[in-house]
Amino acid sequence: MHDHPLDLIAALADGSLSDEGEARALVESCPECREEYRTQIEVIGWLAATPAAEMTDLEKAALHRDLWTELRNQPGKSPATPWWQRLVYVAAGLFVTVGLVSVLNNGALNGGADSGAATTAAGALDAPTEGDPFVAQGSDDGESAPEFTTETTAAATETTAAASGGEESLAIPFAELAEEARSNQADRSATQGTDRDVAACLARVALDEHVVVDEIDLDQIYLLVMPEDPEAEPIVTFVVLPRCEIVYVG
Amino acid sequence: MTVPGNEAELLTRVVSGDRDAFDAVMRNHEDRVFSVCLRILGDREKALDATQDTFLTVFRKAGQFQGRSAVGTWIYRIAVNTCYDQLRRAQRRPSESLPEHVDPSDPSAEEAIESAALRPEIEAALAELPPDFRNAVVLSDLEGLSLPEAAEILGVPIGTVKSRVFRGRRLLAKHLGNQNDQ
Repeated sequence: MHDHPLDLIAALADGSLSDEGEARALVESCPECREEYRTQIEVIGWLAATPAAEMTDLEKAALHRDLWTELRNQPGKSPATPWWQRLVYVAAGLFVTVGLVSVLNNGALNGGADSGAATTAAGALDAPTEGDPFVAQGSDDGESAPEFTTETTAAATETTAAASGGEESLAIPFAELAEEARSNQADRSATQGTDRDVAACLARVALDEHVVVDEIDLDQIYLLVMPEDPEAEPIVTFVVLPRCEIVYVG
Repeated sequence: MTVPGNEAELLTRVVSGDRDAFDAVMRNHEDRVFSVCLRILGDREKALDATQDTFLTVFRKAGQFQGRSAVGTWIYRIAVNTCYDQLRRAQRRPSESLPEHVDPSDPSAEEAIESAALRPEIEAALAELPPDFRNAVVLSDLEGLSLPEAAEILGVPIGTVKSRVFRGRRLLAKHLGNQNDQ
């Protein structure tokens, strides 16, 4: 029997033909074709009667457990980030770098400016691919750029602080940062750091109608706080945590 | 827990680090991936390893999914390729002993053994098929995928997979006939 009739007969057997006329005529007129048809029908029936292969509950649990263990043990092999997402990361890193260089060039900080900016750029580019695949890639809602901003700002300032001799000589440019927050029209609708009982702290220092627009993480947490009402005078207050003290108003 | 969203969206969320999304993708496909791997490899333990390797690859390549096929088709293709790799590494025919390693403390293990042992003659006959024929028959007749889906998963034209399925059935009948004669 030639190949073509086999394909035709087999397709008749599994019901994939739209027009069965030719195949049925073939089966009726050719004993060999009829035998082939029976064979195909029989095998399809056997296979259809074979139960699905399933994992047991324990096997499934072990699969999930082992998979996550494997993923955590190989942090460098996180999902390949699409090119467009990498571009966003790079753009966010550059944006933060340019902003910081702008602040630093205003003279508020001394000699560590360049190294701070360099640290920031490197940190921003490295951040998405390091560490636990489900920890280092940003927040669960996918809004990773804000995290990079906070982290890189802190990294740059930290570098500067280290260069200038540690906590005693910290030269946090409160006035410059406050001015930057005002000029960037910081989003006052989104609060940050609510996990640190920020609301209670703000109420304690009579800033309960204010929101946190940014924060700097050094030896302590420095919150940049502004009035919640966008029509109110844009006064920036720095509150340090966990002491919950106002350290600057401007 | 159910994670909302279509499958392509789930993969996007996997890329952005959403663990729940990845768990949802796994839950949707782990049974069929395991089934395909078991039919192709013919060994339960190897099939479990291949299933794990498949989802590791799915996780790592989630960002490369371009939506040209269904997510399931893409995942099963990874599964088949993973099985090919295992077969190449082993360089020997698969074992026919399916449930040997099943954990005796697992209450569903006995059922799994019985289920897998219902048609041992078919499992044995499948193992006798050339891999290309076996894979086509597994995807089409055992897993119930359409010929275009099977073709995409196997990376061959539809006509080729059609031919492999038909000839695979013929060989299966021959092997099963020989078994019955013995």
